Amino acid sequence: EKWRYAFEESLTEVQGVYATKFKEEIEANSDHEVLLFPYGTLGESADIMEQAQAGILQFVDQSPGFTGSLIPEAQVFFVPYLLPTDQEHLSRFYKNSKAINEDFKDLYANQGLELLNMFPEGEVAMTTKDPVTGCEDLNEVKFRVMTNPLLVESYKAFGAIPTPLPWGEVYGGLQLNIIQGQENPTFFLYSTKIYEVTDHITYAGHNNFTTAVMANKEFFDGLSPADQKVVNDAAAAAYDYIVSYQQGLAEQELDKIKKAKPEMTVTVLSEEQRSCFKDAAKDVEAKFIEMTGDSGKAILDQLKADLKATM
Amino acid sequence: MAAAMMLAMIILLLLGFPMMVPLIIAALIGFYEIFGGVGKMDFMVQQFLTGIRPASLIAVPMFILAADIMTRGESARRMIDMVMAFIGHVKGGLAVSTATACTLFGAVSGSTQATVVAVGSPLRPRMLKAGYKDSFILALIVNSSDIAFLIPPSIGMIIYGVVSNTSIAELFIAGIGPGLLILLFFTVYSVIYATLTNVPTEPKASWGERLTAVRQAVWPLGFPVIIIGGIYGGVFSPTEAAAACVLYAIILEFLVFRSLNLPDIYAIAKSTGLITAVVFILVAAGSAFSWVISFAQIPQAMLGAIGITEMGAIGVLFVISIAFFIGCMFVDPIVVILVLVPIFAPVVKSVGLDPVLVGTIITLQVAIGSATPPFGCDIFTAIAIFKRPYLDVVRGTPPFVLMLLSVAVLLIFFPEIALTLRDVAFR
Amino acid sequence: METKLAENGTSLDEKQDPKRICSSLLGIQGKIDSLIGRFESFMLATGVLLMAGNTVANVIGRYIFQHSLFFTEEVNRILIILITFAGVGYAARQGRHIRMSAIYDALPVRMRKFLMITISVVTAGMMFLLCYFSLAYIGKVMASGRVLPALQIPVWWIFVWVPLGFFMTGLQYLLTAVKNILEKDVYLSTSVLEGYDDTEIEI
Ligand code: NA
Ligand code: NA
Repeated sequence: EKWRYAFEESLTEVQGVYATKFKEEIEANSDHEVLLFPYGTLGESADIMEQAQAGILQFVDQSPGFTGSLIPEAQVFFVPYLLPTDQEHLSRFYKNSKAINEDFKDLYANQGLELLNMFPEGEVAMTTKDPVTGCEDLNEVKFRVMTNPLLVESYKAFGAIPTPLPWGEVYGGLQLNIIQGQENPTFFLYSTKIYEVTDHITYAGHNNFTTAVMANKEFFDGLSPADQKVVNDAAAAAYDYIVSYQQGLAEQELDKIKKAKPEMTVTVLSEEQRSCFKDAAKDVEAKFIEMTGDSGKAILDQLKADLKATM
Repeated sequence: MAAAMMLAMIILLLLGFPMMVPLIIAALIGFYEIFGGVGKMDFMVQQFLTGIRPASLIAVPMFILAADIMTRGESARRMIDMVMAFIGHVKGGLAVSTATACTLFGAVSGSTQATVVAVGSPLRPRMLKAGYKDSFILALIVNSSDIAFLIPPSIGMIIYGVVSNTSIAELFIAGIGPGLLILLFFTVYSVIYATLTNVPTEPKASWGERLTAVRQAVWPLGFPVIIIGGIYGGVFSPTEAAAACVLYAIILEFLVFRSLNLPDIYAIAKSTGLITAVVFILVAAGSAFSWVISFAQIPQAMLGAIGITEMGAIGVLFVISIAFFIGCMFVDPIVVILVLVPIFAPVVKSVGLDPVLVGTIITLQVAIGSATPPFGCDIFTAIAIFKRPYLDVVRGTPPFVLMLLSVAVLLIFFPEIALTLRDVAFR
Repeated sequence: METKLAENGTSLDEKQDPKRICSSLLGIQGKIDSLIGRFESFMLATGVLLMAGNTVANVIGRYIFQHSLFFTEEVNRILIILITFAGVGYAARQGRHIRMSAIYDALPVRMRKFLMITISVVTAGMMFLLCYFSLAYIGKVMASGRVLPALQIPVWWIFVWVPLGFFMTGLQYLLTAVKNILEKDVYLSTSVLEGYDDTEIEI
């Protein structure tokens, strides 16, 4: 049988590497074939999600940031400083978290989706035209964010002017100085060439990019137990693979950026420099609870407990 | 399936069905074959909506509106009068100015459709009056507008850069050489055309007349300032520059020139909406059509059959050119880039081609495809705005396509056309 | 165009007298039809002007108040859907949809008439089909509870124009078929005779 799998990045980026490994595993352990559809080939993030919900696609990778309009609780991954920057800790956390593997699994199931995995794509870095050493440097900076209310709140709290722009306009916007900053994981800064139009990379440790892989639930439930095992095993194998693939990935990509643009500065903020970002995070967390109510608070508390348990 | 889709589309197209119908029916055939029934066809509608979602499309109605206000008011006439005062006596001068204006406006605005409207609608009547044939004028406008793809900022190059992991800054620089070469070809052709068909020239204007013309055009010269200064100066995105032009045009025509009144703006907005709708519904239907092509992995199947891995670098470049040329005949350029680039990526790498050169060639093919029948947004825009039949709009196209294709061939054999500037800037 | 008019035995001016166009269909039907036309053109013009206002407001907000309107992009997206789908019906009424008419134009009148009836019926059928599909699609979006990220309104609201636009377009083509069956001349739409015309018809 032919199974179709769409994701939000290109074939050589993290989601594409995960998908390729997943495909290899499925094809090695069954006689099914997996067809891969990278970014844009079947529509945007919301489109492929709908296609997966309708069973047109069997698998889909969508980041919770885009799922927020469907499952508001998924925005919890945008609460700053909730997730640690330690990749080892993160990899244990995603694997064992009750919030993810039980609570979110149910939330996705309500949308007709079987959550297979959530995995990290790396620490989010800010890239800007001017150096950033604290919140005061973001003052008056038009900072591009995804169209997501919590992200807008975050950058408002950091003191910037959050400017929601579709991704297609970011490169040109930075080049023409319509915006002066944006954030993304390190590998994405290199692969999308954003470093060409910004001069400073800053790590404030405020977030880790999370993404989720799902199957259409009806399709998954209709599989034989043997096939379900093939899918789950493939997801587990791809998870382990992507975690080890990402070890040192950020550093490698950063080296590539420095090689391509030696004048690029890279700053990791000190604890003291981070303090105002961390203060702002409290407001954002309150905003998240205000937006999602009791169920949001329950997920938030569970996530915190899970993080402690996987230390 | 691909054959049935193409056949249905071409027959219905030729019979004179509204163009959305062949696209819709071809997509329906595809959906039916893929899902063995009509159950999932509501996703055609999802793809319709996806097609008209990109934020960059908003610039199109905005520039149409601004151009329409300028053309029905005084601004456009005054600006053209000024240009004519300087070049009216030169053989083919008006045609060359039109091509240059299209290139400039397209380069800056980033929207080829907006260019067709903004430059074409004021200049076409003037060219007709000057004695050029309509088929030449229409083809000149449509094809010169498509040079915009090659000159930064270019949305096609940004998409290619992201999908293929190539430096966008280098692509931008590399596009300039071929873009100017095309403009040069068009310029030479315009002068030859004007000479052969003996288009009359105006008497040479005196410096006094020129000064008057410049004075008359002082206010309207604010438009290029808003567009070029605003966008390159980092004040506006292209969409916002378009909206700013609308505001400025309203201020000029209503308050300064007093050439239009309130009912006029309502009528102009309505006509802008109409033109936008007839073009965008085709973009939408085209998006459903290309979803089917992409979902069924038809390009993969076709390219797998021709054994591209056996070819050398030049062969690969030719196959890429042909594939993108054919793809863009039927499908929106951005979708073609998204679908085809990952398919070619391994071959490009294995024969060691410079991805910047490949990107430039692809962008050029995309530009050619946008002006090549049957499916081309800029053709549709020209039909809608000038109210000419389809055939009239494309009749004058062949010489232009020939010139564009020869630039493509030149680029394959002399990559320096694109890469010299890049090497100067980056190597 | 001149020859075509002579062949049809009528002049364009006579046929396209604005008053007649307003309600080329007789009686109450015509009145409803012209009301719908007015409504479509009102939505079209308003949509375009709102889009300009919204975009300018965002620029002003960003530079004067240092604050981007976070919903500008979404509002424009809503407006572009409105413009496109209100415009499809309006364009059908005006006979302005883009087509490749080279072969068609070369055919004799009787063939053209037959072909135009076929084209109108098939197009109407496709539009009604898409109207049905868009209702189904909206149903799915409604059930998913998806909301617009910035405005936080249900996504399906912004799609209601889609089935409406398809339905109105289908209706226009159906009426065009009827008109072509009833009348002697060949009509591109209920109000427009075939042949390209440079004057805009105002409703
Ligand atoms: Na451009
Ligand atoms: Na084309």
